[in-house]
Amino acid sequence: QMAIDVLHPGKATVPKTEISEKLVKMYKTTADVIFVFGFRTHFGGGKTTGLGMIYNSLDYAKKNEPKHRLAKHGLYEREHTSSKQRKEDRNRMKKVRGTARKIIHNP
Amino acid sequence: MAAPDMLDSDLPNAVTLLKNLQEQVMTVTAQVQALTKKVQAGAYPTEKGLSFLEVKDQLLLMYLMDLSHLILDKASGGSLKGHAAVLRLVEIRTVLEKLRPLDQKLKYQIDKLVKTAVTGSLSENDPLRFKPHPSNMMSKLSSEDEEEDEVEDGHSEASGKKSVKGVSKKYVPPRLVPVHYDETEAEREKKRLERAKKRALSSSVIRELKEQYSDAPEEIRDARHPHVTRQSQEDQHRINYEESMMVRLSVSKREKGRRKRANAMSSQLHSLTHFSDISALTGGTAHLDEDQNPIKKRKKIPKKGRKNKGFRRRR
Repeated sequence: QMAIDVLHPGKATVPKTEISEKLVKMYKTTADVIFVFGFRTHFGGGKTTGLGMIYNSLDYAKKNEPKHRLAKHGLYEREHTSSKQRKEDRNRMKKVRGTARKIIHNP
Repeated sequence: MAAPDMLDSDLPNAVTLLKNLQEQVMTVTAQVQALTKKVQAGAYPTEKGLSFLEVKDQLLLMYLMDLSHLILDKASGGSLKGHAAVLRLVEIRTVLEKLRPLDQKLKYQIDKLVKTAVTGSLSENDPLRFKPHPSNMMSKLSSEDEEEDEVEDGHSEASGKKSVKGVSKKYVPPRLVPVHYDETEAEREKKRLERAKKRALSSSVIRELKEQYSDAPEEIRDARHPHVTRQSQEDQHRINYEESMMVRLSVSKREKGRRKRANAMSSQLHSLTHFSDISALTGGTAHLDEDQNPIKKRKKIPKKGRKNKGFRRRR
């Protein structure tokens, strides 16, 4: 894991994809185990500071990275049920006892 | 005559010395024979060794041969004047002396190599391992096929990662002793007054009065406003925390306001016309200038966050 300082005088903030490409060249790994985040540009432009992590293997990455960062790489899909629906289901479940609960949970 | 007396006294010494010499010569010849046998058997291959050391070896051997030649001649009664071996000896001696500073420079590397050869590998904390890596100073983006650097990079990365993993210890929560709260209203008032007095004492008005009446020499310091230095210190603390914990902390509205005010304060003439409140010392009531904001009381209890909790310093 590392803190990354990017110098880009005259240009806008460098996108994360470009930064991970450069890291691939520097550390001779593949792009799917590199995770960079948290880039903040200093006042006046020209310099950006961010954080980055390179894992030894994709398995370690899947175990240790938070889900939202994995989702940005396409390695994780979060469920798309709305929380309101889930709460309604749960409250309906609470009213019933036993096997009927299973029916409400998986209609 | 003095000479025979001296000879008599010296004779027994000479005899013992010669005997010692004989013994030592015998041991030395035994060792040298063992060495030559080993070298001839090829136990010390020097093809891949340092050529500098080989040169030194050869020079020392030649020196020894010439010396022994000289000793032989002298022992059999010959004179040493203008002997060819003397010139050769002088030449070899000068070359050896010139090699000595080179030797000094290589000493570190040779020591390290010898240690690695003897022990197999060095421990992690060996100070000999912390040599400078100029390859780390080069831009790694430009290097396409530099294979020597790969080994060194791998080394430094491995050692770096190892050190990071070794540092993580078990989290020990801080122990705070709970104290019974029984502060009366009067005590609270008194405390507030004392704090206001302390603040007033360090305000600019009082400080200038002190300077005027004290005998100490006048100090002119290029100091920034204390709020600015305080804010920059806090920013530095935040940056260090973020980089060591590898998280990004959120900035609350209060923090944003403080930062904005600190940035603005360094470029304002605010301090020229606005003075802090010294009513605690003068005894009057506190009053603010028209354009200063009134002090608001905190209404909401700030929400706890997992990241920010570790970041809050215990004041």
